[in-house]
Order: sequence, then structure tokens, then C-alpha cells
Amino acid sequence: MQPSQKMRDETTGRYLPVIYPEELPYWEGTKRRELWLQSCKACNRAWYPIGPACPKCFSMDFEWKRMSGRGKIHNYVIYHKAWTPWFESRVPYAVIQVELEEGPRLTTNLLDVPPAQTKIGMSVEAAYEDITDEITLLQFRPAKG
Amino acid sequence: MTQLGKDMRDKTAISGVGLMIGDFPERTPLSLAVEAYQRALADAGMKREDVDGIIQLSYGSDYDRFLEAVGSDVRYANQGWTHGRFIAPMLQQAAMVVAMGLAKAVAVVHGRKRRAFGQLADHEMWRQGLGPHGESPAYGAMGPVYGAAVAAQRYFHMYGGSNEDLAPIAVALRKHARLNPLAVRKDPMTIESYLKSRWIMEPLRLFDCCQNNDGGACIIVTSAERARDLKKPPVYISGMQGVHAGPQFHNLTLPGLGVAQQEVYKYKPTKEDLYAYEMAGITHKDVDALITYDAFSPLVLFGLERFGFCGPGEAREFVKDGRIELGGELPVNTSGGLLSEGHVVGWNLFIEAVNQLRHDCGARQVKDAEIIQYGSFLGESIIFRR
Repeated sequence: MQPSQKMRDETTGRYLPVIYPEELPYWEGTKRRELWLQSCKACNRAWYPIGPACPKCFSMDFEWKRMSGRGKIHNYVIYHKAWTPWFESRVPYAVIQVELEEGPRLTTNLLDVPPAQTKIGMSVEAAYEDITDEITLLQFRPAKG
Repeated sequence: MTQLGKDMRDKTAISGVGLMIGDFPERTPLSLAVEAYQRALADAGMKREDVDGIIQLSYGSDYDRFLEAVGSDVRYANQGWTHGRFIAPMLQQAAMVVAMGLAKAVAVVHGRKRRAFGQLADHEMWRQGLGPHGESPAYGAMGPVYGAAVAAQRYFHMYGGSNEDLAPIAVALRKHARLNPLAVRKDPMTIESYLKSRWIMEPLRLFDCCQNNDGGACIIVTSAERARDLKKPPVYISGMQGVHAGPQFHNLTLPGLGVAQQEVYKYKPTKEDLYAYEMAGITHKDVDALITYDAFSPLVLFGLERFGFCGPGEAREFVKDGRIELGGELPVNTSGGLLSEGHVVGWNLFIEAVNQLRHDCGARQVKDAEIIQYGSFLGESIIFRR
């Protein structure tokens, strides 16, 4: 996998994430349908967004760790306005912030649930969506059982 | 409180303002900025030769192009980062520059088009991490409104209430705009018509969002002494405090709401959080009107709680029953604010404070206004005094 500065998929018109060099282990993880984040070797905490140092103890000594992929919906909004043509057939859709069991909160969509049924506190698990041949987005869906 | 901080009180003043709001299809950001500057000079009764400092944000033309266009050399120039939360630091800097003698008069200028070539907002949401309002474009988390919507959702989750609690804010500010000849949104609005406006992003409706438009603004700051000899009565800068920032101060959010990686707790300002009052020698009870950054209606709730006008979770009741309207206990955004007067990146909010303290506001004048506070959810504040 290579860093990418492509902001838009020219075929579909969908916006893409910019892949920064230090974020490659995250994107290689999602490609394998796994969630990997940085974890501090000094204080043992995982953090997000991806960055060069632990925001809690400021150590730069970290390792990439696989996360459980389990968490709860901490916050959400429901988009009714489509910002780009790609979203016109997709509104309404939910953007959620999931608090992982490991602590960090991630921003994704919620799959397999009508937006109106989105609730704060709902248990969710990681899901994966291939959006180009190279890029797989982390998503969440309701936890099984 | 430092000695310099104490000495700063009322030592600098605003001597002139110029404002343009609306659609200017034939104009460029540079041309709007230059005209606003001309208007502010005329308002102050000053000439461009009297101004030896220039400060602006990185909207529109750069500072060097502006100075080239107005044919002026200055001995103090600075250009800050784009975004409305940086207007207060820019005006504060102008006051500090004048107080320190680095310039005799500083013009803070602004010119912006709603859509123009090369605007930073077009790609800023792809910056490393999430965008400046928490945006993540691949997930369709787009637009500054996203930051206000996630904050409002958490606020309602923590304190109860819902979108309906925002209606009195939008309605109050629209009433104010209807008394303001410059305002761009003047159609009558009621709670009922608010509730019929379409969802942009639950929990926010169209009427919770400001309208982006073209605009130009200029504010001239000089010494209090000098300002007293000029055309208009001076509006003194009495106190100030900065934009609070960091993981606990996510944009468009009050601390404690749990947006992004924020901790979850009930925010109450401490003494340190209210430095501007100390500097000005006042408390929030002395404030005759509050001007707060209101690009989205929930920000009014956050501004009120940030400065202790009401306790945690109480702003949604406080904004009801006309309390924030003209004639109410604490008039808020008497021009109509960004929601209804128009979005000039907030510069128009400062200019309203100036016009109120000059007692120049006609039908929307706050009677006997002596002290007006600009204070927003990130804690940035300027206390203006007549």
C-alpha cells in the first residue's frame, strides 16, 4: 500500500480518504478487515486520530495494536442534505462516533440500520467497506447477540 | 492578572468601522476589502496615512496584495489563519500592537467571496486527522455544520431537550435582523415556521445554519487618546481573553460534551476561564448585551454557558420567553448575528458591538448600552465599553 493524495474517485465521484504516510498500518489493517491503532508503550493507551505521540503521556514510543473492533455509539447525526452528487441517492444516512472498548472514538457510518433507529449507547462492531481496489473503509454495524 | 493586563484596560479603542454584506457578483475579495477599508477610514475621519498597521485573516487577498492595492506602507503587518474563531485574536492583537507602540493605528481588514478561486475550505477537511469541524469526507461527514450538529446532539443527550429548544434562538435573531437594514435574511420567522424548515443534519434544521455570503469588513484600532479626537465616539477595548484550544476544546463545542476525544463532564467556568472580566473590572452582570459567534444556533447555548450567564444545561431554558431578545434580560446578537444578518466571518459581530455602543442602532438599539461582551464557545472574548 502507498500513501495517496487522491481526494475523489473519478469513476464514482465518491470522496476518498487521503492516506498519509504514517497512517499506512491503519489502512493495511482495514484492507485485511482488522482494526489497528497506535498504542503507547509507556502508558499502554491507544489513541486516535493517528499521530506521532501519545496525547496522554507524550511518549513517542508506540506500537501498532489490533483493536477489539467492539464499542458503543457515543454520538451521531443524520445527514439529510447531500453535500456531493454521490450522496444524493444515499441520504438520509448516519455519521456516528463510536467509542471503542479501548477508549478512542472513531468517526464512521452505521451500516445495516435505518438511520432513524440510531441510538447513543448502541453496541456495535467493526465492519469493512471496500471503496476502491486499494482502500477499505472501517465502518460499524450493530453487534451480534 | 499582570500589570500590563491591568494597564491595558480602556487604553485602546475602535475609531472606525466599515461593513458590506450580501451578494457582490462583480467584485473580488480584494475589492471588497479595499472598499470596507475606505468606509472605515471615512467613518473614523482618518486618512490612509494615519494607519501604519494591517492585520487580516488568510481569506481573500493576502496582506501584501492588499497594501499594494491601497498604496500604503506600514510598520506592522500580520496575517492569521482563516476561520471565524480567529477574529477575536486578530482584534486583540491590533489593540496590543497599538498599546505597545508598534503602530499608531491598525486596520483589521477582511474581504471574502462565498465562492472564489483557491479557498482553503475546499480541501481543509482532508487534513491529517479529522477536519477542523471533525469532518471526514469519505464518510460523508462534511460541512462545518457537522461540528455544531455533533455538539448539539451530545448536549441534548446530557441535559435533555431536542431540536425544538433551538427554535427560540433562530426566532430571536431573526426578529433582530428585521430591525437591521443591512441584514440579508428578513423574512418573518415563528417557532412554527422554524419547525417546518427542512433538516440539514439532525438535530439541526436549515434555520439553525447561517447563510454564507460575500462580504467586506474593516475595524480600525487606535489609542484611546487619539480616538477621542476623531469623528465618532471611541469604543474602548476593556478586557480580553484568547481562544481556548486543545483536546478538551473541540471546535463548535463546549468543553465536557464528549465530542471527538473530549472528556464528558458538566462544564462550569472557573475564575481563570473568565480573565476578560477581571481585566475589564466587571462581571457578567454588567454586560448589557452579549455578542456570540452564531454560525449555527447551538453555539448560542454554548456561549451563554461558557461565560456563566447560566449553569450547565440551563441555556436551553434561558433562551426562551424573549430573554435573549431586544428588551429582554440579556439581548444576544442584536444585529441578527451570523444566522440572520449574514456571515462576514464574525467581523460583523464586532461591528454591531461598536454600533450599539455608539448608540447608532436605531430601532434595535439596546437602551443605554455601556458594556457589550463578545464571547464565544471557545472562550475567546473582548469586552467593549463606551
